[in-house]
Amino acid sequence: MQTKRVINPGERIPRVPEAVFLFRSCTGSLEYPGTESAVKETLKFLGVEAVTDPDQTCCSGFLQACSAYKPEFCLAVTARNLAIAEKKGLDTYTFCNGCYTGLSEFSHTLLSHQDQRAAANELIGRWGYRYEGRTAVYHVQEMWYRLKERIAEGVVRPLKGLRVAAHYGCHYLSAQYGILDDAGYPTFHEELFEALGATPVFYKERQLCCGYSVGRGFTHKEAIVQPHLHKKIKSAAVAGVQLMTTVCPGCNVALDREQPNLNRLYGEEFHIPVIDLAQLIALALGVPASKLGFAANTTSLDHVLKKLNCDKGS
Amino acid sequence: MHRERDKDRDDNLRRKVDVYHLAENLEDCLQCGKCVGACPVASLSPSYNSRQIVSDVLNGQQERWLKSEEIWRCFLCSGCYAACPVDINFPNLMMQLRYMAVEHKYGLKYVIPFKRFALAALQDGLTFVPAGPKGRDRIRKIRTDIGLSPWPEVSEKAREEYRALFDLSGAGAFMETINEEDDKPVELQYTEGRVTFADKTGH
Repeated sequence: MQTKRVINPGERIPRVPEAVFLFRSCTGSLEYPGTESAVKETLKFLGVEAVTDPDQTCCSGFLQACSAYKPEFCLAVTARNLAIAEKKGLDTYTFCNGCYTGLSEFSHTLLSHQDQRAAANELIGRWGYRYEGRTAVYHVQEMWYRLKERIAEGVVRPLKGLRVAAHYGCHYLSAQYGILDDAGYPTFHEELFEALGATPVFYKERQLCCGYSVGRGFTHKEAIVQPHLHKKIKSAAVAGVQLMTTVCPGCNVALDREQPNLNRLYGEEFHIPVIDLAQLIALALGVPASKLGFAANTTSLDHVLKKLNCDKGS
Repeated sequence: MHRERDKDRDDNLRRKVDVYHLAENLEDCLQCGKCVGACPVASLSPSYNSRQIVSDVLNGQQERWLKSEEIWRCFLCSGCYAACPVDINFPNLMMQLRYMAVEHKYGLKYVIPFKRFALAALQDGLTFVPAGPKGRDRIRKIRTDIGLSPWPEVSEKAREEYRALFDLSGAGAFMETINEEDDKPVELQYTEGRVTFADKTGH
């Protein structure tokens, strides 16, 4: 196990791979399909082949966090999904913090507890799968930061004057060890914004979570989730944020879809579009907005696209 | 209304909770309270106190949190884990506290909303697929418009194996134990400085 907390990107990804196993996210492919598209476009620009597999299933981490599944099921599902990546000889890249933490935590448990690994392998062995721990689990944001210079060189649509704020989400930084930044005060997303020509905005409640990681607003919505989100979005609005980015489609749902509710409940006029970091990068790299699925967003970003002169789908 | 008594304590509670060995360093807790300061839920609802919960688990007092509504408020955001000077993975402890509560039939109402999603996930191999045809059509349209396949590719083989693992791993049996009619009530009882219970027979 990695014993250093923050490591530099060159240490995290020593050699940029030619191909990766791209782990499909349910929310990133259903709620915000533009995320899947932007991740694929950005990887293509970076010369990294994204290999997917229809035999991959949901990581099952979210419903496990909601106590609907016990770990035994998720350990077996993780072993099965990662065995598919292993067979291809590729490392696994997720585009959802939830998938990232699910796969990395469960694979850590599988690798550090021989009995759990044996139990999972016995379950999946009937179909010929076997998990040995040869595929490393990454989040695509690590690739973006590793290749920040190459991305900066590829910018054809600089995001000049756009005030962008980061929402890091919890479940990449919660790994605590062997990751790219300090959970206490991360800045690597803001560095990426600068590389794209945008103006990073540090707002007061930047570190606050999205509130949807458990319950998804189905439980404790009025008592906890909405007051919590109000505090967060309010501080972003006060700081003059024009656009917010996430690296987790689940966070994106909370921050984007709840804004009309917050406006109604608290008499606010929030209008801060929330998109995936990959969508922002793809925009700056010149990928046409029509390929980035912004139609899925509740809080529309038409005015932002107009400002960037890409409102005609170009 | 009664208070917990000393004879109700269980010195082995810590091990009974940590079934999956995910919070083995719990005894290192310094009771410094940094976790509470970092907690977004505690800032809105002070009766939810992670420091006190760790203390209660170590002291073998389970009744108070088992029956409390507060344990269901945690976002599992890991802010406490980041702040902890001795690296206690509190979210992993919380996850297991909730399993224990469910085992005792407390807080089932906080799990039941997800039963529907879990059963639907078995059909699709994906979580949170909209139930109605309208929602599905909207997704197909957006995906097609941006040049993706109309639906995320999940093979029949994947869905069959996912369903089989659900039964083989015991997830199906676990789900059958979560039913509305068994739910025992939980209330906000973790009031500051004093823990009381409405009646002693609720167990």
